[in-house]
Amino acid sequence: MSKVELFPAPPKRWTRFFEWFCNEVYFEELQGDLEERYFRNCGRFGVRKSKAIYRKEILRMFRPSVIKKIKTQYQLNNSAMYKNYLMVAFRNLSRNKLFSSINIVGLAVSMAVGLLAITFVSEIHSYDQFHDFKSDIYRINNLRINIGRSTTDYATTSLLMGRRLQEESTNFDMIVPIFNGFNGDLIHDEKHFQIKGQYAGEDFLNLFTFPLLSGNPELALSEPFTVLITEELAIKIFNATDVVGEVLEKNEELYTITGVLKNPPLTSHIKFDAIASLKTFEAKPSPRRTRILNDWGTMWSSYVYGRLSKNSNLQRAQEELDRIAQEENAKVEHFRIEPHMESLTDIFPGDGKNNQMSIVMPKRSINQVVILALIVLFSACFNYTNLSIARSLRRAKEVGVRKVVGAKKAQLYFQFILEAILVSVLALVIAFFLFKLIRPGFIELNSYTLSTTTLELTPKIYLYFSIFALLIGFLAGTLPALLMSKIKTIHVLKGISGRSSSKGFNLRRVIVGLQFTLSVGFVILVGLAQKQYKYALNFDLGYTTDNIVNIYLDGRDPSLLSTELKKIPGVESLSTIYFLHSTGTLNSDYVSNIQGTDSVITYNNYIDYDYLDNMNHKIIAGQNFTADGPANQAIVTESLLQKLSLGNPAEAIGKEFKFYNQNRLIVGVVENFHYGTIFNTLQPYAFILDRDREMYYMNVKLNGNDILGTMDKIEKAWTQLYPEEEFYATFYSDAIERTYSGISSSIKTFGLLAFVAISISLLGLLGIAVYTTQSRIKEITIRKVLGASLNNLVLLLSKNFLIIFLISSVVAIPLAYSLFKSLVLRNIEYRISVGFWELAGEALIIIIIALLTIGSQTFRAAKSSPAVNLRDE
Amino acid sequence: MKGTHLGEFQEIVLLTIMVLDDNAYGVSIKREIKTRADRNISRGALHTALSRMEEKGLIKSWQGEANKLRGGMPKRYYEVTNKGVNALKEAKDVRDQLWNEVPRLRLQHNYG
Repeated sequence: MSKVELFPAPPKRWTRFFEWFCNEVYFEELQGDLEERYFRNCGRFGVRKSKAIYRKEILRMFRPSVIKKIKTQYQLNNSAMYKNYLMVAFRNLSRNKLFSSINIVGLAVSMAVGLLAITFVSEIHSYDQFHDFKSDIYRINNLRINIGRSTTDYATTSLLMGRRLQEESTNFDMIVPIFNGFNGDLIHDEKHFQIKGQYAGEDFLNLFTFPLLSGNPELALSEPFTVLITEELAIKIFNATDVVGEVLEKNEELYTITGVLKNPPLTSHIKFDAIASLKTFEAKPSPRRTRILNDWGTMWSSYVYGRLSKNSNLQRAQEELDRIAQEENAKVEHFRIEPHMESLTDIFPGDGKNNQMSIVMPKRSINQVVILALIVLFSACFNYTNLSIARSLRRAKEVGVRKVVGAKKAQLYFQFILEAILVSVLALVIAFFLFKLIRPGFIELNSYTLSTTTLELTPKIYLYFSIFALLIGFLAGTLPALLMSKIKTIHVLKGISGRSSSKGFNLRRVIVGLQFTLSVGFVILVGLAQKQYKYALNFDLGYTTDNIVNIYLDGRDPSLLSTELKKIPGVESLSTIYFLHSTGTLNSDYVSNIQGTDSVITYNNYIDYDYLDNMNHKIIAGQNFTADGPANQAIVTESLLQKLSLGNPAEAIGKEFKFYNQNRLIVGVVENFHYGTIFNTLQPYAFILDRDREMYYMNVKLNGNDILGTMDKIEKAWTQLYPEEEFYATFYSDAIERTYSGISSSIKTFGLLAFVAISISLLGLLGIAVYTTQSRIKEITIRKVLGASLNNLVLLLSKNFLIIFLISSVVAIPLAYSLFKSLVLRNIEYRISVGFWELAGEALIIIIIALLTIGSQTFRAAKSSPAVNLRDE
Repeated sequence: MKGTHLGEFQEIVLLTIMVLDDNAYGVSIKREIKTRADRNISRGALHTALSRMEEKGLIKSWQGEANKLRGGMPKRYYEVTNKGVNALKEAKDVRDQLWNEVPRLRLQHNYG
């Protein structure tokens, strides 16, 4: 018996591995030698050891003289080949104009969205990157715990914290306190200039990198009543930038300009026209200023920035902050403050802290934009992939010939990737113009984008764009390129390419299905969001807002205005209130029964005698406030009675309860109503009568005849009374609509993207339908000749698609619904009810549109004349 | 002479091929070196030396027969060319000359 039969073959996997990396010229010789040695060794040392030796030998084959020469194929002069690739690519593009334009337009539209996302994200992430000490600067934030009530995260800190750190900190080598309140009118030469700005500590320019055009940075804010202004403001006021030493007036105080700053970059979270010296507060104190400087609890609009010294660390700094907070918290009641540090570069985009110095984009909305852009992009890439795979049969011959002539797999792969990149670069050019077109619309999308983004194009962005186009080309082209380069020459030349297409067809179906799932999902999401939005606007509030106009009084005495307005015939009735219901503003206080137990949080508002009637509130028991009644009247909702166990509405009249620190007498009970938004649950509520309270809004009910004319008259009445003051009036329904502007702006975003996604997938579908009918036209014609009816043929061609659509809808509907539930409905207390037809109806509409798209092609194919289609055979 | 400088390992391989005469292929060369010089070299290392010397024209090779033991892979036989023989002789001459120049006394002292 020979050794070969006696012993097992050498480890196969290792042999294959060796074959993979070994230069094919040497493989036979080396492998033969190894195998011979292996079998000889088996006779001498046994199989185990021989296998080990074999493996070791293979590992030791890793040397340049054995490994495949990767470079050899590129040693030729390739430029002619690249030229040929490009030429073939262009020829293919121009030969199939329909497919090319579907690909390019689809990609261009989605790439425009992608460009938007790139510009947006890179702008957001460039915020505050220009400061020299950016990695050492921290802002102290406060977590304010109102004991027993609420815990809120603020971006602000009391100036007292700043001062204590300045005096005793061993961890910060520079502290800059800022008070956000240098706003209003600057006066020069009797001209008023509206500005926004801050008061800041004297190290402001040393800590932050805001270069001065003129002035001394060391002394800039070291004296009280000094101010730094930006170049822009200097030009606006003086039409010159060399204005150090000039004096500006604000609130009857005179500030000397000690420096002119270069305009701060747009990507600064500290936005200002002017920075005044915080020392002004010490130099000319007022009760308010003293409180801002010294009160631990007054932290609503003051900020403290510090530079961590080199020999300290975050933990030690935090311990120091905790110690100061502990000392100060011990001196106050009712609340506690926990200070935290946030790195300067983490401030923007933010995580939802209150009282930011200027609007900070939440991280969540950035992620939203990115995810949506990605979905749309993928959809367009699918189109390319799908259509290219579909057409790959047509190019199989080309691939076969190239292979015969000597093209390697990698070269063919490269060729098809190059084609995809060519398409994506062409699309980029169109996308760039589309991008410029939609940019203004995107900026105005919501208040965040409006105030924080400019979407300006920098050289870096252009670089990103080019990389992006390459990536997209690569992404879209990979799958078709892989499939094409794998086509077997022998199959092509024997003409049995049909076999390989069935595999591709399945993949294509999956891709069409995925795309369709996305479209249906998008449409359902948008539809549900739209319904929820409509629901929020037309929600039965428990009172009437029809034809009510709210005039902003800002604490002015309403009696003057009401006398004037009552003379206008279009005005039916009017009332005043402290703040408007159902627009997001809430006010809550502790309420308990008269013994002071059972305390509950109760939302409340201050109204006049006419409010309840004017707004159609339903009084269940008792009566409205009366002018001659006691001063402590209150009207409460039914739910409060239950919470305080005051019995049924009739019994509760005349009883007293504790409201904050005063006793209140129940004179009436109203039906529960929606004082908040759809995000709030209903809690106990109380209307409080306070005859001295300044009212902020007047609710004017119009009688519906000639509303515009009446509004005109109301405005005239206002201007006669207050000629200098702005007239702010809105319809109640508009005010409610504005409350839900967040929802409406997401609907806008989602809607736009849904539209883009659907258009792209319909384009793709059209392409596939054209291709399918074209490639089956002979089959169809023969069927027709043999007697198939029009209906039969259309059904035959659409059947596969219909199945895909149904499966996609079945996947998309629950997916979209659960997404809607987790994303939108999470915080909403008052929700729409979603039934089967709400979901399926939208899917059905999309399916019908898709079927029409396909139908346009199948009908044409089924109706075409057999003579034309069979002639050329 | 330039270009024909032989490394020590190359020299051994060349000599082994000459010793094996017309049975010089990968496995036999390796085995001969193992038995004569007690050096266990990997097949890969041998390949590096062989291919380099073939490039320089010191050896030539031809494809031989296949057998079952080798999984059907053909052998490759190696033969030293005249250039290779010259290179070997040159190397030997250099060494001989050097040996002759070594003072007898030192030889006895240190190596004797």
